[in-house]
Amino acid sequence: MVSRRALRIFDGIQLTAVLAVLAVPIAWTFLLAFKTRTEVAALPPKLFFTPTLENFIELFSRNDFLRYTVNSLIVASGSTLLGLVFGAPAAFAVSWHKLSWPATVTLFARMAPGTLFLLPWLIMFTKMGLVGGHFVLILTHAAITLPVVVWVLLPYLDALPRELVECAQIDGARQDQILRLVVMPVVAPGLVVASILSFVFSWNYFLFALVLSGIRTKTAIVASFNFVGEGVTNWGALMAAAVVIALPPLILTILIQKRLVGGLAAGAVKG
Amino acid sequence: MAAPAMIFAVGMIGFPIGYAIWLSLSTVAPGADPVFSGLDNYGRLIHDPEFWNALKLTLALYAMSLSMQLVLGTWLGLLLGRSNAARGLVRTILVSPFMLPPVVVGMMAIVILDPSFGIANWLLAELGLPPGLWLSDPKTVLVTVAALDTWQWTPFVALIVMGGYLSLPSDVFEAVELDGATWWQRFRFVTLPMLAPTLVTAAVLRSVDILRFFDVIYLTTQGGPGNASTTLNILAYRRGFEFFDFGYASAIMVTLSTLVFGSVLVLAKLRRAVSW
Repeated sequence: MVSRRALRIFDGIQLTAVLAVLAVPIAWTFLLAFKTRTEVAALPPKLFFTPTLENFIELFSRNDFLRYTVNSLIVASGSTLLGLVFGAPAAFAVSWHKLSWPATVTLFARMAPGTLFLLPWLIMFTKMGLVGGHFVLILTHAAITLPVVVWVLLPYLDALPRELVECAQIDGARQDQILRLVVMPVVAPGLVVASILSFVFSWNYFLFALVLSGIRTKTAIVASFNFVGEGVTNWGALMAAAVVIALPPLILTILIQKRLVGGLAAGAVKG
Repeated sequence: MAAPAMIFAVGMIGFPIGYAIWLSLSTVAPGADPVFSGLDNYGRLIHDPEFWNALKLTLALYAMSLSMQLVLGTWLGLLLGRSNAARGLVRTILVSPFMLPPVVVGMMAIVILDPSFGIANWLLAELGLPPGLWLSDPKTVLVTVAALDTWQWTPFVALIVMGGYLSLPSDVFEAVELDGATWWQRFRFVTLPMLAPTLVTAAVLRSVDILRFFDVIYLTTQGGPGNASTTLNILAYRRGFEFFDFGYASAIMVTLSTLVFGSVLVLAKLRRAVSW
């Protein structure tokens, strides 16, 4: 019989190995962003070096990356807001009236390959003259944020005491007042999780902006893709771009770590 | 109250899906309106070796990625559940890979796996092992892509498994331990059956993502070398947005979507069968 102590040490070794495999590639590539051109390509790699910001300066001064980052911010915030405005009342209707179609439709939207919507969208929005603007990106990314909002909010709304809403109804409150003043404040933690996940999903999303954005409205994700496509050999600048687009999702998700997995899995259990 | 969402769902989701199906049943000449042509595009599909190649690659990628993620995720999830370690910095490290934009994972892969200047081959050489061509070799590209997805998403599966494991009744484990069951017997006959519904839930989530996998492939190889990593989603994209063959591309997209929803339905049936 192996002692429990030995087993615990063995578990510790396995866990350390896993964490190294996960963390080292991220740390290693992100460090490249702070190296000079010669240090980046050096093999054996330089572990000790004086960090420099020259890659970031080049990224923002020569490549207009600031504009693309702002585009990403506009699209992610706009689509999150749109997702909340459409999704929160729909989620309440699903929970309160046992309405099932919004849940089903949004689940469908969440599972379908993005390419399925993209061709019809391209044709529709070209006819409307919207392709290349911010609005079309906000609208299409809302197809990603809306399902997230609905499915993340559902368990919070289902846990809401029915008396709370019924009291407000007896007091003569209108539906929108009940939603705004009674329901939403109670499910505020759920709104935070839904907003952060929506923002991150929209920020990270690649395909829609790849086709529907214009030269001036492309997101930081698409700009980074173009970087790679141009065969940029300056890995320092490439990784500087990676750091800029990776930091917002990493920082935001630290705030909701404990609810993250439940939020991402929302819909899979009931569906 | 759901009216705004309904208008959005009809305009942005329902109508485009219907339109895509209509396009898949039409011939679309560039600049002209679609003309109904029945199942012509699907007929082309059946006789197109590129389609069959893409389907084969999609299924191969699916089998490799999903099995690796479920096996490693179960191992890691049980490890985390036993040692109660998924907190603080450890949790941050675990969630980081799957919160990174997939495009960043692709960029990291390009830098690390570069055959001449990447750190991966340098490390292999230091260890006296032969270098790999990774994403540049038609023979290894699909496995490499599967490994990248596994790196990114195994921690997610593990955290789901951990949640399932921690919610299991602990008296069952104590009972079988007292009965003197070996480690393997405990895992095979107690832990695994009890975790089965959780594992199917994880499989649903991963299936949807792996079957429509796009970002990392398109960023690193664009479906190449040759068409060694041209999965259905990549093929549909290229036919639609690079060759503007709208009707044919839609037929591929509708086929892929059917595959995705089919897999979800099968897994939903499976979950009912393994629930206890």
